[in-house]
Amino acid sequence: MELLLALASGILYAAGIYLMLRRRLAQLIIGLGLLSNGTNLLIFTAGGLTRGHPPVVPEGADALVPPYADPVPQALVLTAIVIGFGLLAFLLVLAHRVHATVGTDDVDELGRER
Amino acid sequence: MRALVLPILIPLTTAIVLLLAPKQPRLQRRIALAGSVMLLASALALFRQVDANGIQVLNLGDWPAPFGITLVADLLSAMLAVAVGVVAVAIAGSAFAGVDPRRETYGYHPLVQILLMGVSGAFLTGDFFNLYVWFEVMLVASFVLMALHRNRAQVEAAFKYVTINLIASSIFLTALGLLYGVAGSLNMAELALIWPSVRSTGLDMVLAALFVVAFSIKAGLFPLFFWLPASYHTPPAVVGALFAGLLTKVGVYVLLRIFTLLFQDAPPALFTLLLAMSVATMVVGLVAAQSEPDFRRILSFNLVGHIGYTTASLSVLTPAALAGAIFYVLHHIVVITNLFIVSAVLLRLRRTTEMRALGGLYLQQPVFAALAMVPIFALAGLPPLSGFVGKLAILEATFASGAYWVGGIVLLVGLLTLLSMGRAWADGFWRPPAGEVDVATPGRPLLFVIGGLSLVTVAISVWAGPLFDLTLRAAQQLLRRDDYIQAVLRGVP
Amino acid sequence: MIALVVPSLFVVALLFGWVVGRYPGTARALAVWPAILTAVLAIEFASVLTAGSRIVEVGWAPTLGLSLSFHLDGLGLLFALLITSIGTLVVLYASEYLAGHPQAGRFYASLFAFMGAMLGVALSDNILTLFVFWELTGFTSFLLIGFEHERDAARSAALQALIVTGAGGLALLAAGVLLFDVSGTTSLSLMAASGGSVAAHPLYAAIASLVLLAAFTKSAQVPFHFWLPNAMAAPTPVSAYLHSATMVKAGIYLVARMTPILGATALWTTAVTSVGVATMLLGAYRSVQETDLKLILAYSTVSALGLMMMLLGIGSTDAIAAVLVYLVAHAGYKGALFLIAGAIDHESGVRDVTLLRGLRHAMPITAVAGGIAALSMAGVPLTLGFIAKDGAYEALLHGGEWLRWLLFLTVAASMLLGSAGLLAGWLPFRGAPLQPEADEPRWQLWMPALTLAFAGLLIGVAPGLLNAPLSSAAASILNTPSPLALAVWHGLSPALMLSVLTLLGAGLTYAKRDAIRKWSWRPAHGTERIYTGTVAVLDGTSRFIAPLLHSASLRSYVMVIVATTLAVGGAALVTAPRLRTFIPETTVRLHEVLVVIVIIVGALGAAFAKSTMAAVLSLGVVGYGVATTFLIYGAPDLAMTQFSVETLTVLIYVLVFRHFRNFGALSPPLVRVRDAFMAVGIGTFIGGLVLLVSRTETAPLLREYFAEFGPTLGHGRNIVNVILVDFRGFDTMGEITVLATAAIGVRALMHMSAPLPAGLDSPEAQPSTSPMFRAASRFLLPLLLLFSVFLLLRGHNEPGGGFVGGLVAAAAFALYQVAHGVARARRALLINPLQLIGAGLLIALVSGVPATLLGHPFMTAQWAIGKIPIGTPAVFDIGVFLVVAGVVLMMVFSLAEEP
Repeated sequence: MELLLALASGILYAAGIYLMLRRRLAQLIIGLGLLSNGTNLLIFTAGGLTRGHPPVVPEGADALVPPYADPVPQALVLTAIVIGFGLLAFLLVLAHRVHATVGTDDVDELGRER
Repeated sequence: MRALVLPILIPLTTAIVLLLAPKQPRLQRRIALAGSVMLLASALALFRQVDANGIQVLNLGDWPAPFGITLVADLLSAMLAVAVGVVAVAIAGSAFAGVDPRRETYGYHPLVQILLMGVSGAFLTGDFFNLYVWFEVMLVASFVLMALHRNRAQVEAAFKYVTINLIASSIFLTALGLLYGVAGSLNMAELALIWPSVRSTGLDMVLAALFVVAFSIKAGLFPLFFWLPASYHTPPAVVGALFAGLLTKVGVYVLLRIFTLLFQDAPPALFTLLLAMSVATMVVGLVAAQSEPDFRRILSFNLVGHIGYTTASLSVLTPAALAGAIFYVLHHIVVITNLFIVSAVLLRLRRTTEMRALGGLYLQQPVFAALAMVPIFALAGLPPLSGFVGKLAILEATFASGAYWVGGIVLLVGLLTLLSMGRAWADGFWRPPAGEVDVATPGRPLLFVIGGLSLVTVAISVWAGPLFDLTLRAAQQLLRRDDYIQAVLRGVP
Repeated sequence: MIALVVPSLFVVALLFGWVVGRYPGTARALAVWPAILTAVLAIEFASVLTAGSRIVEVGWAPTLGLSLSFHLDGLGLLFALLITSIGTLVVLYASEYLAGHPQAGRFYASLFAFMGAMLGVALSDNILTLFVFWELTGFTSFLLIGFEHERDAARSAALQALIVTGAGGLALLAAGVLLFDVSGTTSLSLMAASGGSVAAHPLYAAIASLVLLAAFTKSAQVPFHFWLPNAMAAPTPVSAYLHSATMVKAGIYLVARMTPILGATALWTTAVTSVGVATMLLGAYRSVQETDLKLILAYSTVSALGLMMMLLGIGSTDAIAAVLVYLVAHAGYKGALFLIAGAIDHESGVRDVTLLRGLRHAMPITAVAGGIAALSMAGVPLTLGFIAKDGAYEALLHGGEWLRWLLFLTVAASMLLGSAGLLAGWLPFRGAPLQPEADEPRWQLWMPALTLAFAGLLIGVAPGLLNAPLSSAAASILNTPSPLALAVWHGLSPALMLSVLTLLGAGLTYAKRDAIRKWSWRPAHGTERIYTGTVAVLDGTSRFIAPLLHSASLRSYVMVIVATTLAVGGAALVTAPRLRTFIPETTVRLHEVLVVIVIIVGALGAAFAKSTMAAVLSLGVVGYGVATTFLIYGAPDLAMTQFSVETLTVLIYVLVFRHFRNFGALSPPLVRVRDAFMAVGIGTFIGGLVLLVSRTETAPLLREYFAEFGPTLGHGRNIVNVILVDFRGFDTMGEITVLATAAIGVRALMHMSAPLPAGLDSPEAQPSTSPMFRAASRFLLPLLLLFSVFLLLRGHNEPGGGFVGGLVAAAAFALYQVAHGVARARRALLINPLQLIGAGLLIALVSGVPATLLGHPFMTAQWAIGKIPIGTPAVFDIGVFLVVAGVVLMMVFSLAEEP
């Protein structure tokens, strides 16, 4: 199963990078979104995969009994998802502003010395 | 030491107060200044503790390392925390000369405080993921400060800036995910302890490569540094001062930390890579600076070039070289912040920092000219100012370890900086103005800040002896990994 | 006490500068200070002559080898006395020359600072500190040359001098550090005492070359001499002081001082002598071609410096004695001639020697001074200049074969120099007057020159006065006692014949001056081309690369980052020793494969989509796929968060991108192939890494700890939540700060540039028209809020928590907003989202405080244990809840209000 998710991560990174090299603002940001998902998947997979068994102690028990999914990468990914959301939302609105101000969504037009 | 968390919590508190307080400019500026002064005070107190009692440690939530998040302050972190405080006070003081009212309404002051929080957090944390979080805090605050724009150039630059930094953050996060997968911990001391087991998986150099790339982007090393001259000249000059003074230094700090804590025994190829990138940065930065028509662009390229000094010295990795690097970082923070504030005055006087609109300032603004002379020529390395002392330290270290050609580049780049700053002085201050006259006063608060920072530069020069000895102690402390590991993992209160 | 001499001048510089700025009349009185210093130094010299030299030291940065140490010996004190005595005269002169100038204060500040720096060079025992003062002389010279900064010529000359001498200075620094390494000390006196040990070291050639580079640039030796004539753009007092009497002698001083350390080798002797000779000849030749008084004097100074350098290179006892006498003599007559040139310029406004005649009628005293100085320069007996030339010829006569050639060349040069002296000091005054309106200048302008000229005469008659001081100086250079016996008359020696010959030649050249000026060959370009050429190349390169760096497209930057990552990371991966992994037994279930296929399809769909909306939807598909993956592999909290965040993200994407056009193919196919190549490279790299890492056993240290102590010490059964709000709560604190800041940013961007919301008429603010929906939303709002609170409270023990709760709470209001419009939704919220965020942050922050009051680290959980444990982490989670809700609402409202 690691193979599958490694494949998925790799493809997400590839697709993300490909889009970031394109010329439209929207593509660039969507690429970042794919990249972000890829990274989250990477962190999750790299920490080791366990099917089922969420790290929640059953009612009445005193401690988690293996096998259980590693809670640490989950906490890290959760933080990363939330931070990523905040940043991506901001970037989107910034792109909106750029589009409104510059008038085009061609990335190559940005910062061109006039 | 419980007060270790104060340099992080004080700016946060100040930001919250500023968010909830009424939006009157005078009130906001005063709160911001008070908060910044308290930040500086807490950092100085922290420094005194570290100086007297060695590495200070705080386990947040009282969870022992490596299970919780630990804050660690060694001499390097403590000195950098003080530098943050100094910059904070300078920026807060500059605000009294006036801030764009719309920016002030939409959160200029709390954003500055949040940025300071992120920087302090990055300098004081002992956990890599926590470092990532503080990086993001610092970056998002800088994003928003950049994005509070008035014109097209600013919003374009902001977009480029944000995108590049987000990519760098992704690379950092990728490396972190892989690191946890391999090592099972994110605590810096723990990782240093178990690093041999990481090395045995063969993945240590790949991780090192990813970290180096991510932080070279943040620090501004060749070939990953273009975002800096493409963007630092667009936000309001005081914001530029904040960025130039602190943000790149966090990247350098992380490189210092990972190279001394984790990669001391790495194969020479890694150090050669860093050295090559640093040398390229120095030369390219200073060559590019020569033809720039805008003062802030000149400063941005100089900023980039001089970062190369510190990382080149880092790659030599002897105590003397590290001490030189640390000394140079401290000098550079003060001088470059000062220079951007000088450009803030230029903006006030001439509405632009383009060189062709400057000129005649020596005659029209004698006080300003006299004050500005200090940071301009300190950057150029004019002795006896701090830039010279830093260069001397680096030169001595590189020569002593046989890396003569690196020392030669250091001197050549120094000459290029002298040329760059000499021209800036001749064109900006001496040349008769091309019909421009000053449209406003320089702004007393700004002159005060410039004077204050210049005094700090002079003080660094005068007390170069004790200060260098301090950085030497910090360097030796950095190279003694076991002391750090011991302090964190054995729970020194 | 004596150590204060140097620093005092810097203090005085600032002080006097300010005083003169306020009270211009006080300028004349300033000369008192250098006069006092001259006396002090003279007394010190007397004591040194009897008791020997001494060292005075004040620490600075010993670890770096920096210290303010002063070596008071013959050589240093000789130079020092020259500096302060001539300085006194120059200050006096300047008080009249610059009378009434508005920036006079700044002039004196720079001048005194220069004086201090120059004294520092002469007296410093520490080679690194010598460098400090060396560069300071260069900097103050920069300020002084550029004094009339409104003139282009002045600025460019100042910059040129700064860079040329600055380059030399940096060479000196390098040499100093190398010497520190080689000899273990930075003290020049200690180095001199250890004799030739440096000469034997492998680094000797480098060190010597660097030192000589510094000396040659400072003393305007060929090929670096071009900056000196250009420096004549400075006011004449500056030219007289810096560029003839003192600063340019610094190179001579350096070579002299380093002779015991680096000298007496073939490299040293050859280099110094040949450069000196070349300079001597070039300078003399050019000096008689010029018509501007200052340029004549400038080139003759270049020549004199070359002559002195040559003598130092020869290094015999006679040569050293000669160079010392020449030093003093030259300072005297050249200084005087410069001051006179300035006086002439001041009175008549003319500096062209072809236009000046008969000034002896108008300026008799000045004429006398000029005459005497010219005689000294020509080497007429009974002047000090004669003694100097005599000594030089003696030294050249008593040496090897090759010195005969030098003798010949020196005589030739001296003839030309003598002629130059006559041009400057004799010609303007004789003949019929051409400038009737000139007048005798005030005494401040002729007294200094006259003093110098008479001094030359006095010592020329009784040169034995110099015996003691110069012997002491010579001893410093040669490291052995070298008593001098200067006399006017040595008998009918060959040297005397040569001196007479020189006078004849000078007279002849002077007589034929017009012909020489007209017919002598002038090169089209001087060595200045080295400088201007280098700078031009530098600027050209800069203009080429700078735009590449700061105005390239964003995509190029991304490409470079990607390429670097691939290159560096790939290299590291490929060269890794052995990659240890284990392949665990795995089975693959169908639904897992399906989910991964969904993710991949979504990714590819987004990459190749033709319309923005299609791409956004593909991204949403990917996000949901990832969320499902989380669910499959035991991460329910994660899945919930991912689902909600992805939905929100897609929503925001849609709101923002509805204005954007559809994608066309903008990049040419080749570019796309290249980009795809890069992308696939990265993908493979990352995929490979993930595979490698996920198959290595992750150390169980952390998860076992959390698994054990989460329920017990953390009082929670949902370990992930316990980590987020307790174990690693500080991370979450940062995270909500990021969210809050992003929201501030979104709000600012939406409101800053756009006009205020258009109110109820804007299309997005239009409430949904379906009455059933409106009714339902009124019902759903409190229900969803309750659910969100439920999620919050159960989070510590079951999947849920502050994040998800906050998201659901925000969703509740967002739904209400879709139904009823933003204005009513805002009112329903009761408070501003910004205040919600602030309150949330405050609560989160405050939740960590009780611990500190009880002596624990910040954020230590405090629990009230009862049937249901309640603790500060719960309060923290409430803070998180509020922040998340506030942030999402702020974004949603801001975006919806946009017209």
